[in-house]
Order: sequence, then C-alpha cells, then structure tokens
Amino acid sequence: MRANIKTIEFKFERTVPAPPGEVFDGWLDPKIPGNPWNMAEKLLLNPKVDGFFYWTFKGTPHYGRFTEMERPDQIQHTWVSPSTLGEESTVTVTFKKQGEDTLMTLVHSGIPDTDAGRGHEKGWNYFLDIFPGHYAHGQRKE
Amino acid sequence: MLYITPYGVMLGMDQLTDVLTAISHPTRRAIIGQLANGPARFLDVAKPFDTALNAVTKHLKLLERAGLIERRKQGREVFISFRGEPLREVAGWVHEYERFWNQRLDQFEQYFKDKKTKGKKK
Repeated sequence: MRANIKTIEFKFERTVPAPPGEVFDGWLDPKIPGNPWNMAEKLLLNPKVDGFFYWTFKGTPHYGRFTEMERPDQIQHTWVSPSTLGEESTVTVTFKKQGEDTLMTLVHSGIPDTDAGRGHEKGWNYFLDIFPGHYAHGQRKE
Repeated sequence: MLYITPYGVMLGMDQLTDVLTAISHPTRRAIIGQLANGPARFLDVAKPFDTALNAVTKHLKLLERAGLIERRKQGREVFISFRGEPLREVAGWVHEYERFWNQRLDQFEQYFKDKKTKGKKK
C-alpha cells in the first residue's frame, strides 16, 4: 500500500457445520459455491505459498498471491482489483474448531479508504438495521 | 461524477453526499423511520419531535434534496412519503466488499448446511 493512502478493513464471521479441514479445502475448491473462485468467469488458481490467482467477474480482473497456507488453520493471500486502486490488499481466512463446527473468520484489510468506506460507517449499518425489507425486496443493480 | 464499481453500480457523487448527509442526523433518521411505515402529513411528521416546526421543515428539505422523501398533494392536504431507492443505491455503492464477502460467505455456509442435512437424510 502506498503510505499516503489510508486503509480500512472488514471482518466477517460464519459458523460452518463441518470440521476445519473440510472447510479449509472447500474454500479452495472452485466447485464449491461461496468461495471467490466459484464465481469466476475465467480462473487461474495455484493455492500454495507464493502461488498466484487470477479471476474475472463481469469482466473485472482480480489478482493475488498466496502468502500463508496452513491447513486447516489459515489461508492468507493478497488481493488486487480496480476497487483496491490497483494496490495490494490482504485477505486472511482462519478456521477454528468449535465443537463439531468451524468458526470461519475472514478479514479483508488494506482496502483504500475511499468515499465508499467512509460512507459505510455513516449509512450502511443503519440502513440494514432499519430497512431490511426495502433492501431485500428492492431491485438490486447487480 | 459517476462512480462505477466492478459490479456495475453507478451513483452520482453529489447524490451520495446528499443521502449520507440526510441520514447523518438522528432526527432525520427518526423521520425516515416514521415515514417508512407510510405517508404522513407535515404536522403528523413533526408531532413526535420536541423541536420547532421550522427545524422539522429544514430536516424535510434535506431529506427531499436527497430524494428520500416526496410530497404529494391530495385535495387540500400534502402527504409526505418515504422513497427507499436512494438508500438502496448508496448501500450498493458504498459497500461492495462487505456485500461481496457477505454474499460469498452466506453461500459457502449454506453449502455446508445443505450437505449436512443431506447427509443426515441418507
């Protein structure tokens, strides 16, 4: 990241009803719905330390390099897209055993703090709390 | 100026600013919450607030400028109603990564839930 760009991060957690090893493998398997690779129109994926990935979605390219691969605990890779202003952001996914399930935590850090990020703090949580119906039933521009 | 995300959402920067400004004040959020239940007349909108009518008028102007409310005349009365579209556009614009990861993770989690359910049925 360039020193003069402020960055933000987002953290997500999910409890997945499977052991960490299975969830870890699932996150790297393009056939399994929900991981980023599954949605790719074009995909090159080499999931090992210093392996690269390239995928496109709606014609938009995403690039990255795997920096940590510790089965079944953690996957970390860089993430570069037009939305990161071409800079490297970092995605870290951890898998922790929780009984029979896995607590999966995804942290996407180093995202440039554009108006988009600031806007989120002001409006997004409030909006989702108050107007889930409007959002759920509205026409999404996707 | 329009901003284009990788997912195709476009929104004018001025409109984004107007909408975020509009929802930054608790009174205006309360007005939105009230109007989300249905259209109301000005005095009904102002009633719950311990503030001057002039102040409510100013809040409504800001909400109107952001496109979050509209006024419609019915006979002699003017009804104010809520418009959700600008908020939806802002939501789609401001948070592509939160939206992106939440959608991905929801699908991923669901895949394993379905798998477990199918496994139990066998």
